[in-house]
Amino acid sequence: MVVPLACLLTPLKERLDLPPVQYEPVLCSRPTCKAVLNPLCQVDYRAKLWACNFCFQRNQFPPAYAGISEVNQPAELMPQFSTIEYIVQRGPQTPLIFLYVVDTCLEEEDLQALKESLQMSLSLLPPDALVGLITFGRMVQVHELSCEGISKSYVFRGTKDLTAKQIQDMLGLSRPAVPMQQGRPLQTPEQPAISSRFLQPVHKIDMNLTDLLGELQRDPWPVTQGKRPLRSTGVALSIAVGLLEGTFPNTGARIMLFTGGPPTQGPGMVVGDELKTPIRSWHDIEKDNARFMKKATKHYETLANRSAANGHCIDIYACALDQTGLLEMKCCANLTGGHMVMGDSFNTSLFKQTFQRVFSKGYNGEFRMAFGANLDVKTSRELKIAGAIGPCISLNAKGPCVSENELGIGGTSQWKICSLDPSTTLAIYFEVVNQHNAPIPQGGRGAVQFVTQYQHSSTQRRIRVTTIARNWADAQTQLQHIEAAFDQEAAAVLMARLGVYRAESEEGPDVLRWLDRQLIRLCQKFGQYNKDDPNSFRLSESFSLYPQFIFHLRRSPFLQVFNNSPDESSYYRHHFARQDLTQSLIMIQPILYAYSFHGPPEPVLLDSSSILPDRILLMDTFFQIVIYLGETIAQWQKAGYQDMPEYENFKHLLQAPLDDAQEILQTRFPMPRYIHTEHGGSQARFLLSKVNPSQTHNNLYAWGQESGAPILTDDVSLQVFMDHLKKLAVSSAS
Amino acid sequence: LTAPFPAFSYGLQTQAGAPADPLTRRAPPRPRGHPQVSTAEPPPILPCRRPGPASPRGAPLQPGTAARLPEPRVSADTVLAPLRAALDACRATVQKQVCNDIGRRLTVLEDAWAQGKLSAPVRKRMSLLVQELQQQRWDAADEIHRSLMVDHVNEVSQWMVGVKRLIAERRDLPTGETDSADTETTTETTTETEPGQEEP
Repeated sequence: MVVPLACLLTPLKERLDLPPVQYEPVLCSRPTCKAVLNPLCQVDYRAKLWACNFCFQRNQFPPAYAGISEVNQPAELMPQFSTIEYIVQRGPQTPLIFLYVVDTCLEEEDLQALKESLQMSLSLLPPDALVGLITFGRMVQVHELSCEGISKSYVFRGTKDLTAKQIQDMLGLSRPAVPMQQGRPLQTPEQPAISSRFLQPVHKIDMNLTDLLGELQRDPWPVTQGKRPLRSTGVALSIAVGLLEGTFPNTGARIMLFTGGPPTQGPGMVVGDELKTPIRSWHDIEKDNARFMKKATKHYETLANRSAANGHCIDIYACALDQTGLLEMKCCANLTGGHMVMGDSFNTSLFKQTFQRVFSKGYNGEFRMAFGANLDVKTSRELKIAGAIGPCISLNAKGPCVSENELGIGGTSQWKICSLDPSTTLAIYFEVVNQHNAPIPQGGRGAVQFVTQYQHSSTQRRIRVTTIARNWADAQTQLQHIEAAFDQEAAAVLMARLGVYRAESEEGPDVLRWLDRQLIRLCQKFGQYNKDDPNSFRLSESFSLYPQFIFHLRRSPFLQVFNNSPDESSYYRHHFARQDLTQSLIMIQPILYAYSFHGPPEPVLLDSSSILPDRILLMDTFFQIVIYLGETIAQWQKAGYQDMPEYENFKHLLQAPLDDAQEILQTRFPMPRYIHTEHGGSQARFLLSKVNPSQTHNNLYAWGQESGAPILTDDVSLQVFMDHLKKLAVSSAS
Repeated sequence: LTAPFPAFSYGLQTQAGAPADPLTRRAPPRPRGHPQVSTAEPPPILPCRRPGPASPRGAPLQPGTAARLPEPRVSADTVLAPLRAALDACRATVQKQVCNDIGRRLTVLEDAWAQGKLSAPVRKRMSLLVQELQQQRWDAADEIHRSLMVDHVNEVSQWMVGVKRLIAERRDLPTGETDSADTETTTETTTETEPGQEEP
């Protein structure tokens, strides 16, 4: 396969046309199958039987379906409900939990801004949610929350790693063993709620917690000249994980880490406290000169796995000008579905608005967050599951539909996603089997069912089921069917996820070579050409953009680490591995719009030739929104034409991209960096580094006429890339 | 160039319906070779309208058109008196300490108001919040409290939590005790209460 059979799944995509139903799904009775009744199943209305479309088991309808007939069908049999959501009654509902873990080694201004944001968040949480507070600097403090107005806290040394048991003993959370039940706090009604000392409902302690937050001081330990503050992030997180593990296993919970610098002591330290020793760079890592990296990574991986096993997610909000150790801590967010936010300071719109958006609500007034999801994928016989890439961990569910060839997180048909929102998207890879010895029946269809069980933000348990089927086509005789059905945008994103996943463990150049090889093979298979004649090479419409996506992907910060710190790379990759198709494509190949007097705003090529003097450009890279005024426009603006009544149209022209940028900003998470620049401005580099360098200092004079903006780079352009691709694709040697 | 970061309001964000067509179109690949040349010489003259048929997303946002209208001054007492009345209604059933805590924060609010520390949008929205409270529209009052916390946290964080608690306690009172609240016309203020964008 030149591009694996795969799909992008957004398990909780917001569907206004999809009212949930209030009953249990009907399952196939074969114990190894348990697929959910769906519109693809054959139904015998007279005998009240249905045949599973995955294992062909014949099942009887449950008694509640006795009245079923051709004209009286339950929703799950109707074709428009190929995706359906069930609200089910499972166990007691527990409130959502938010545990704030706050770094106090911050500048006064930063700490003040963070305190205000945290106070603000108390107004956005569901009133019955439980909240807790851990603060850390050189020491770690677990705050007891009470309504009595006397604040009390437990103090831990930041240098000593503690086991979960020790933490629970020290916090007084241990007690005689109580049988553990899923989704239920470990307490019986007679016992006073022990956990309530540290986790209290917002509506009860909002006033005290507001005061407590307001009174937080900077870490009191003196920091001498030339030193970093001692920051015990590793122990603080360990205590947070231990606290929730002991009190609310398998309940939706967010640990929210706010940090303003790297961990500098204890387990999980990333850099020493000597300022003269800088934090590791990519160069250090390549030279195997990153002293603390492996050990710190291991510490956070252990925590991330424990947290994921308990169904709790960890968010990281890291705001500092230098690196904060996201490289080592990334697994905490990546394995648990937590957020990762990187900013320069807590006192920025970027942080404040991003953080506020964590608690945003969807169109139906419900929080856009869900917890503890279990994704189960079922396939018809000809398909096997190779793996998934996204913010999930494997649940190690083996079975006949699991492939031996792993792509991403494989060897399982089930994954756990501790936290997800309506845009969280997983890539799921399949393998087509039995092609040779048992040919796939002509006209047959392959089917896949995705069953996502999760805790809704309202704390209900819900099950979302999507069942799809696609026609089989023979790769030898029906290539044109495959070609026509090829979704090049999805394919680019799916290949990119594989590439980025590999880049986490392989050398950069190896990943690029692998991507190139796959692209060449695709062109060989689907291109039309005469052997050894590059000029004859053509790709059909449905493939026309694919090479261009791969070209931009190769240049993207997801695969190139040059000019990025290890933290930045981790940050970019984190977001790439969870966004939906549209956002992912924007990340791969940014969108460029031009505004001019020559017509309405229009999309233009991401190319240096698009940078013209009389245009304003709006570029969206997902992480940045750049507004760039061309040379003439900038001059007009300096001359102040926009303020003259007769040039009101110029004023409108200047305003139009701002309005569009604002529209993008209203929904984007995390908030992008907003850059307003002009021809010759230093920040224009954000645009110049992204466009295809079709004109460079090397070939400028070959153009004959000067237009567009030459880019000072030795990078190859898309044109050169395509020429090489054609040559390699048509070569009889390869 | 320094452009201010676009300002947001809680109201705008929550009002936003289904997302408009995002700017996600791409230019089709062009046959190689011939970049367009533009001849940009004089500054453009009228006709005075937006270039082309508006932006691809439809009408631009018009910040503050409504809020530009002359605004009646809101006195501290018109806001504080009803809040204190609501607190008094709670005293019979709600814990003394909680009531005192709320009372303390209302004093902080009163001081801030008296010292002129509160901006016009905050004062305006507080008066709307109090109107909702008097009409016993708890959800609307709570929503205004949230919009104030999000949009003006540095002005209101000290005392707003008291107002928030007051709304919550007041709504939880048994209905018999709520009849002291105003039961005047209930239709008038509804249209104004959406916390939209206001003047800076």
